[in-house]
Amino acid sequence: MKIGLIVTLALLLITPSLSAATKPAGTLLGDESDGSRAQPNHLIELFPEDIDPTSFELVKGDKIKPDIDESSKVLLPFSTKWTCSECHSYNTINKGWHFNAADPNVVPGRPGQPWIYFEARTATQIPLSHRRWPGTFRPEQVGLTNYKFTKIFGRHTPGGGVGEYDAEDAQQKMRQYISGKLEVNCLACHNADPGQDQGGTCGYSIQVARGNFRWAAAASSGFASVTGSAEDMPDTYDPFDPFAVQSAKDGQKSPPIITYHKAAFDNKNRVLFNIVREIPAKRCYYCHSNLYLNNGEKTEKWSSDEDVHLKAGLTCVDCHRNGLEHDIIRGYEEESTISQNPLAAATSCEACHQAGRLGAPVPKHPGIPPIHFEKLTCTACHSGPWPGKRTQLTKTSRAHRLGTPNVNKSDEVLPHIIAPVFAKQHGTIVGYIGGAFTLVNGKIAPHKLIWPAFWAELVDRQVRPVALDVVKQTVGEVFANLELPQTGNWPNLSEENITSALASLAKAIEGKAVYVAGGNLYSLDDKGQLQKQQGHQAAQPYLWPIAHDVRPAAQSLGVRRCEDCHATDSPFFFGTVTIDSPVISDRISVKRMVEFEGLSPVYTWLFAFSFVFRPWLKIVAIGSCVILAGILLLYALKALASVAKVLAGKD
Amino acid sequence: MFRTVSITSFIIVFICIVIHWIIFRPKANELFGADRRLRIFDPLRFLVFLLTLLFIPQKLTLIGVLRKLVYLLALLCFVVLFITGFFLKLVLGQTISGYWLMLHATFAPIFAICVAILAVMWAYNCRLNKKYWPWLQKILQQDMTDSVIPRKHELAQKLSFWLIVLLAMPLILSIILSMFTFFGTHWQELLADIHRYIAVLFALAVVVHTYLMVIIQAKR
Repeated sequence: MKIGLIVTLALLLITPSLSAATKPAGTLLGDESDGSRAQPNHLIELFPEDIDPTSFELVKGDKIKPDIDESSKVLLPFSTKWTCSECHSYNTINKGWHFNAADPNVVPGRPGQPWIYFEARTATQIPLSHRRWPGTFRPEQVGLTNYKFTKIFGRHTPGGGVGEYDAEDAQQKMRQYISGKLEVNCLACHNADPGQDQGGTCGYSIQVARGNFRWAAAASSGFASVTGSAEDMPDTYDPFDPFAVQSAKDGQKSPPIITYHKAAFDNKNRVLFNIVREIPAKRCYYCHSNLYLNNGEKTEKWSSDEDVHLKAGLTCVDCHRNGLEHDIIRGYEEESTISQNPLAAATSCEACHQAGRLGAPVPKHPGIPPIHFEKLTCTACHSGPWPGKRTQLTKTSRAHRLGTPNVNKSDEVLPHIIAPVFAKQHGTIVGYIGGAFTLVNGKIAPHKLIWPAFWAELVDRQVRPVALDVVKQTVGEVFANLELPQTGNWPNLSEENITSALASLAKAIEGKAVYVAGGNLYSLDDKGQLQKQQGHQAAQPYLWPIAHDVRPAAQSLGVRRCEDCHATDSPFFFGTVTIDSPVISDRISVKRMVEFEGLSPVYTWLFAFSFVFRPWLKIVAIGSCVILAGILLLYALKALASVAKVLAGKD
Repeated sequence: MFRTVSITSFIIVFICIVIHWIIFRPKANELFGADRRLRIFDPLRFLVFLLTLLFIPQKLTLIGVLRKLVYLLALLCFVVLFITGFFLKLVLGQTISGYWLMLHATFAPIFAICVAILAVMWAYNCRLNKKYWPWLQKILQQDMTDSVIPRKHELAQKLSFWLIVLLAMPLILSIILSMFTFFGTHWQELLADIHRYIAVLFALAVVVHTYLMVIIQAKR
């Protein structure tokens, strides 16, 4: 009796947990595929973020109707958070790789492209990142709040990240109430409609720059127009109050206003989105384009080849895959050690090409000693521009605002990114032990490089960048009359300029004022004389690996002969890396590629020189083998003759 | 795997040589002659003496001198190749690279030439005559009365010579062929493995051959 009761109770306890295990709690309709490969129809209702009149909290608003009476209710932009989360777990998606940079629990992995803050007037060019990549600075270290950071760099993000974080203080909370949060813009990637406007004159990037974070996604959708600027509105402005909006409209500065294209709505006020799982490469290109400037020759679209994978018919997301978690595969070798993505191990260059997935040719690498695969990444020979005698200036979407209105198309425009630089990777950050990161992999790979230039203070031998506002007030004032080139290039700084700027900066900070540029650290000694410290640790360049465009095997390094790299003047080892600096005297110095590769220049030169004798080595070795074979054959035949003689009974 | 195999092989061969030396070592009188005390109690001179045994007695003809020089040059190259080839792999567990590789690649062609020349010069003297196969002669019922009895260890020394000549070819070819664009990564790795393992066999053959030469010369 008692046993039966216990068993019954146990079954009662276990049964609910079993049913919960079969279907995770909170799984929404679109979180899990039913297996169909067809494109799902997205004829959906739109929902805005609205204010709850009782709790005054921002919540999901009523369904959007484009012909609403705007005197009684403000026509609000649709919120991707509240619209898409009807069927997709938004709070899972917004922790994906594109959105989690500021999450301290996320292992940063291989160093990647930083955000680059630059200002010609103050001779500043500094790599920033929320990820703890060595050599970058966190935005808060230069006084950039989440709001400012989003306003400057949000243009080339798919939203989310710090743009969605709660504001830090009361003042910023007020601004965030007006501008809204920069929600994850699902459309930035998944909307295949040609009207999707990321970089147009009223598109996503412009809305972000105007502080219209709440309106940015809707403005990019192609069926809504947004005018006005949240940035221009006073702190007291209420974007949810129809009276406040109407009053602001009548004022001098226009508030952010959305107008929907009514034709996009059906009779039930639903909108048809062209949402795709397989994101077109053109969407990725908005943030991930490169332009190489080779001695005045631009790699314009028509004059350069695309990545061989794209030309073979693949898209970016065929390799850079993700599930609901949006933990997108970056594709580097050691990623599987840190990534939660189950496909990470199977989606590196090596994994795909060794397995021949997606029709990938299995590489033979004829004549290439296997040591190369221990020392070099695949990209070293197969990616980026073919190395020349001198590195090139490079533009990237994120650094140079490519694809947005009024871009300075000059070759010399800041920031100055230099490529390709063949350098030994610092390694991938695979974890933290007691605050210090651990690194794996130190292969040579092609990199992009930036020489940081920034104003800083020296405290306890630590170089800490000074807040940008302080720099503007002090250094900016000193350099106010400095001539700035129309091209957007550096101003020409003399040592006198730096001396006076450091003197001005020193009055505004507690530590010792220093300036970092061109790999050097400038400071004033006790007599006010300028001191230059070469090769200071804080002045080291920041490098991040080049992954694309991948060249086909026929255009890879080493395909012609070993001397593609192993020659005494080969760009791979002995190419010149430009030292970029606003300081005129820094520009004359250069570095050799070998200095970044962790190799001895003497050894590398000697080894390269030995290839002159390689043909002789082959001739001598083969000649020796022929003689040895001849001797063996001769005496083998003699032995055979002796045996034959004995067997014939003649001996 | 390679480290284990090669270290074990070297140790076994070294132990065998020591045991062989203990059993078959020449008597002191045979070895040192009149001033034996001086040589026994002077390790440096003893070592020099052993080394001089490698100077094969030759008439001082041009060919004789050349033969000695080539042999000594080959020995020097062998020592360099042995150290550069095995030290990193066996002691540090690393693949040969850097200056080690450059030294190895510099001495390798010289060694290849020397081995080829020595093969030509020594082959005739290292012929395996019927005198080395008395049991075969008995089977064939041949008359052995006029045969010269070979010296002790002579057969082993000659066999080791032919083994060296035989192994030298794949040893050289395995690395030279990998420099051409005939073979992909898999074959490159295979060729590297062939080179490594044959190098161990080759080195053992050279060590044994050298030891046998010393002991034969000493007895002579």
